[in-house]
Amino acid sequence: MSNFLFGRYLPGNSWVHRMSPQSKLMLCFFFVIVIFFANNVWTYATLSLLLIVVVLMSGVSIGYFLKGIRPLIWLIIFTVLLQILFSSGGHVYWHFGPFSVSDLSLINGGFIFVRFLLIIMISTVLTLTTTPLAIADGVQTVLKPLKKFHFPVDTLALMLSIALRFVPTLMDEMETILNAQRSRGVDFGSGSLRHRIQAAVPLLVPLFTGAINHAENLSTAMEARGFTDSEHRSKYRVYKWQTKDTISWGVFLLVGILVLFLRNN
Amino acid sequence: MPVKKKTLRLNMLAMFIAIILLQTSIPLIGYIPIGPLEITIIPMTVVVATVLLGTVDGAIIGGVWGFTTFVRAFVWPTSPLAAIVFVNPLISVIPRIMIGVVAGVAYTYLRKHLKSQAASISISAVLGSLTNTILVLGLIYLFYKAKAPQLYQINIKELLPYLLGVVGTNGVPEAIFSGIVTPLIAIPVKKIFDRTNH
Repeated sequence: MSNFLFGRYLPGNSWVHRMSPQSKLMLCFFFVIVIFFANNVWTYATLSLLLIVVVLMSGVSIGYFLKGIRPLIWLIIFTVLLQILFSSGGHVYWHFGPFSVSDLSLINGGFIFVRFLLIIMISTVLTLTTTPLAIADGVQTVLKPLKKFHFPVDTLALMLSIALRFVPTLMDEMETILNAQRSRGVDFGSGSLRHRIQAAVPLLVPLFTGAINHAENLSTAMEARGFTDSEHRSKYRVYKWQTKDTISWGVFLLVGILVLFLRNN
Repeated sequence: MPVKKKTLRLNMLAMFIAIILLQTSIPLIGYIPIGPLEITIIPMTVVVATVLLGTVDGAIIGGVWGFTTFVRAFVWPTSPLAAIVFVNPLISVIPRIMIGVVAGVAYTYLRKHLKSQAASISISAVLGSLTNTILVLGLIYLFYKAKAPQLYQINIKELLPYLLGVVGTNGVPEAIFSGIVTPLIAIPVKKIFDRTNH
């Protein structure tokens, strides 16, 4: 299953695990922005080195990362090939119709491959070491400045946490509905457009009505517990900024400056 | 808004977000492969949300889908197209928000002028789905004609016909599918929704 958010968290007690989710989220974001600026071998090497350090500090075995990349490998290769065949300039080795291969396109293809790997790996570090709920919490902290513009940050965060909480529940219900329909002889895997439509309706109606019932029940339960608004809520887990976060930010900022220094202008 | 209504709305939105997240991560209920094409049925979910909860909430749900597409384009792209195109937040988010807006406006208008609820939902769904396709196409064209800075420096000019072809050929069956299936789902679900709301 192509799952990028759920069921990937691995409990642990490493440096990366114990960092606060908001700074992990922001560092991830920062790393991706810095990748934008990389444009030669040295900058990519610096960033790869930083990534290797991060992976080692997460304490997660490298196998999990490889397992995460495997389903994407064909896609990456295909995109890199597109890049190689469709870019222009440089010394041309071979060309046919709109396709051409040059030294410049090969180098760029290699860079894009590294780019893909770096972005996928850093986000994998985030989801392997942070629970979805902690990520939602991080989003709330990161978006807090928007409160000044009356953006309902807390409501959004609460909504997101409820949604994340119910994804596995809905997934289970989905499984039940699928099996129920299969036992009645519905074939989901094949058929014409007409067949597909006929198969989709008895799948989606119960899923939607189930979700509506959950919303109704949850509202009643929340009211019974005195829920009035999402702004003045207390939290079971409070993630505080720690020295670890400061040190990590220091390292990332240094690498960022180094990349700006090393890039070709 | 009374607290009870507010809480219910919050939870309804949360459930629709959960459904969107589910649909983007499980291919079986989010995407339907037909021959070589893979059409998405997520616009249909956005239209159902719009019909049940109103235009603003539909736009919010569309925005959530757009944001998910945007993040995924970096960390877990579904196709080379996504990796190249949807890394631009304007292309990934705005068309999705507009699905809710267009479908919502169309539905409110049609509900007043058409007798049949099914027809109004169907037309709004087709319009919503087409809005998505046309805006994605239009924005790709605009951005890559102007040579905006890109994450992957691919020569888009050569690729443009291919990109437009892929999105276009997906868009038409998508609109047809939305037009047929959305009323079939929205009407029974709306019945249950109205029952719990009163």
